[in-house]
Parts: sequence; structure tokens; C-alpha cells
Amino acid sequence: MFGPRLDGHNGVALVPPTLEHFKLHMSWILQPETDRFGGPRFGEATDEKQEERFKKTGEDETQIQWTIAYHDEPVGFTGIFDIDWVRRDGESGIFIGRHDLFGRGIASEAIRLRTHFAWRELRMHRVHNWIAHANRGSRRGNEKVGYKQIGLFRRSFFRSSEWYDEWLGEAYPHTFPDQH
Amino acid sequence: MALGGTIRGKQTTLRLPAEADLDTYNAWMADVRVRRAHRVWQEPAMPATWKERFKEIAKDKETVLWSIGAGERLVGLVVGRVWRLGGGFDLNHFVIHPEEWRKGYGSDAALALHRYLFDYLDLRLVTIDLQADNVAGMKIAQKLGHIEYARGHEVHYRDGAYVDEVKLRMDKETWQERWSAEREYPPLAADATR
Repeated sequence: MFGPRLDGHNGVALVPPTLEHFKLHMSWILQPETDRFGGPRFGEATDEKQEERFKKTGEDETQIQWTIAYHDEPVGFTGIFDIDWVRRDGESGIFIGRHDLFGRGIASEAIRLRTHFAWRELRMHRVHNWIAHANRGSRRGNEKVGYKQIGLFRRSFFRSSEWYDEWLGEAYPHTFPDQH
Repeated sequence: MALGGTIRGKQTTLRLPAEADLDTYNAWMADVRVRRAHRVWQEPAMPATWKERFKEIAKDKETVLWSIGAGERLVGLVVGRVWRLGGGFDLNHFVIHPEEWRKGYGSDAALALHRYLFDYLDLRLVTIDLQADNVAGMKIAQKLGHIEYARGHEVHYRDGAYVDEVKLRMDKETWQERWSAEREYPPLAADATR
């Protein structure tokens, strides 16, 4: 499914993805500047495959995805995936594709909007995620809206002669900071 | 990759699943004892739906399904995912028929599976997520050498209440320390390559 439009602060909004947004994904995720904590930097990077993914994502009732817009321009995507509607639990994720915009607080605001929506509109019970431990910006963005560490997955993946650990976090409605 | 081949334990054998197993899978998924112990693999459904699922999993490039046999009887199933990169395996579902619990089949099949993963596929780690109240599953995993690396709170909902999820992993080094005597094939003879 695609999420509804959610307007945030500082020009950040979450908007329902379009096929044109999906076609940008491959050029975003196949760059060394953006995939240090992701990977594997190869894939079926064709417009046809993106059309298929767009359709499949729209039909999938176990996920909600948004495009992140910054001053109305698509710059990344975020969502809640693998939602179990009985347990009301899902895994969240975010990707900023425009590395020239890193450091402007776009991800933090997108995470806040997404998490607020999970509690106030979806009535979810829990959201959890995995973040590269060294990706301090992403960790901080999640911690600001109530994610807390539940463990560390050592030696998860290897980059430039080093093992990278992953941070596991979870959030609940009661851990979301007071908005007033 | 998607339908697993033969892995022999002492009491059990992980084997190629067959369409004839699907009715029993369906009965397990409808059994409340199974559903309380595990996250359900597939919901109960019509035979035609199971046949479709079977076709889909046979085509899947990463997920592997085995049936577990004890003698001629079908006593369980295993579903896991081989990581595309990174040499890992997530053991997602490990079901033993409730009427066959406490006979050692789970331990035996789990040991044989881990031997295959570490000693044959040469993977570097195996992960399992268990409900915190799955005492038998926890015992088997810990005996093998799995250690807890994370704990999700109030994750699974069953029997009117939430229960935590324990996330476990076992690394190849642990396998080698504890189970190096477990091998499928004897060492190569000194003159084998002459």
C-alpha cells in the first residue's frame, strides 16, 4: 500500500509514491555515497522491473510506503514493512537517495512523521528496525522518536576491511515523545 | 535451492518435501499447539492453495523447505532462508508434530541441519527467532550453541497476551568448538587424490 500525504516541518513531507519516483530508486541505491550501510549495489535496475515493483508495492497489504519529498522534490523513501496485522508489528526503514542533502534533518523529520502515523492512524502496537551501528545519524533520528536499543548484531556485513555491526531497536506508542 | 535434499540425523531425516506432505502441513498450521509455540508459517487453506504455495516455494531462490521424517512417518518441517550475501542462514520455521514432541526429534533434526549449514554449505552463522515461552525450542537452540543477541518486547500475540521474542545466533566458530566430531563424510583418505 502507499501512505497518504503527511506534511512536516522544514519542507519535508511524506507523499504517496508515483511510478516516476520508483524509477528514481535505482539511481539512488546503486551509489557508493548512499549504500555504505546497505547494498549490494547491483540488481535488476530496469524501468520494467520498477514498474513491476511499483505495482506489487501498491497491492501489498503488509507494507506502507511513502516517497520523502523535500520542498516538493522526491529525495528518498520510507515505510513500514512486513506488517503483521494480528500482532500489529512491522519493520520500519528509510533511505535518503540524495546524498547532497544529507545532514539537513530530512530523515529525522520523515521518521517522526512515519512513526506518528503508525501510532495515531494505524493503531500499531510496535515498530522495530535494524540500523548499521555506525550510521549514527539514522540511529539518532530513530531514538528521537522513541526507538530504544534491544540488541546488537555483531559482524553483520563487511565493508573496506572492517566488520559492521547492526543496532536493533523497537518503539511503542508510549515511547513516542509528547508533541505538545 | 528451494526444496531441500536429504540430510540424515540419527533418528530423523530432513528430506525433499512432496505434494503428499501438504495435507499434514495444513493440519499442523491449524493446530493450536503449533500456533502457540511458533509464528505460523502459512495459514490453513484449501488443498489447491497449498499446491500453489508449494509451486511458489519450489521457485524461490533463497527460501528452502524440508520435510522431516522419522522412519516412514512425516514428523515435521523446516523453512529457512539462505542469505543472498554474507554467508548466513535464518531458520524461520521449525515445526515438529505435537504428537511427536519429547521424543528427541527436534534436537536430532536441528543438529543435522546445523551440520549441513556449517560443515557442508560452509556458512558463517545461523539465526533463529523464538518466542520466549518456547522452552523446548530454547533448550535445543542453547544446547547447539546459540546465544541471545537481542530481545524484542511484547512481540508475539497468542492466548490473549503478548510474549517477548528472543533473537539467537550461532557462529561457525561455536560449531567447530562444540561439534567438530559431527561430520557427514569421513576425512579424505591420504591417497584419495593420488
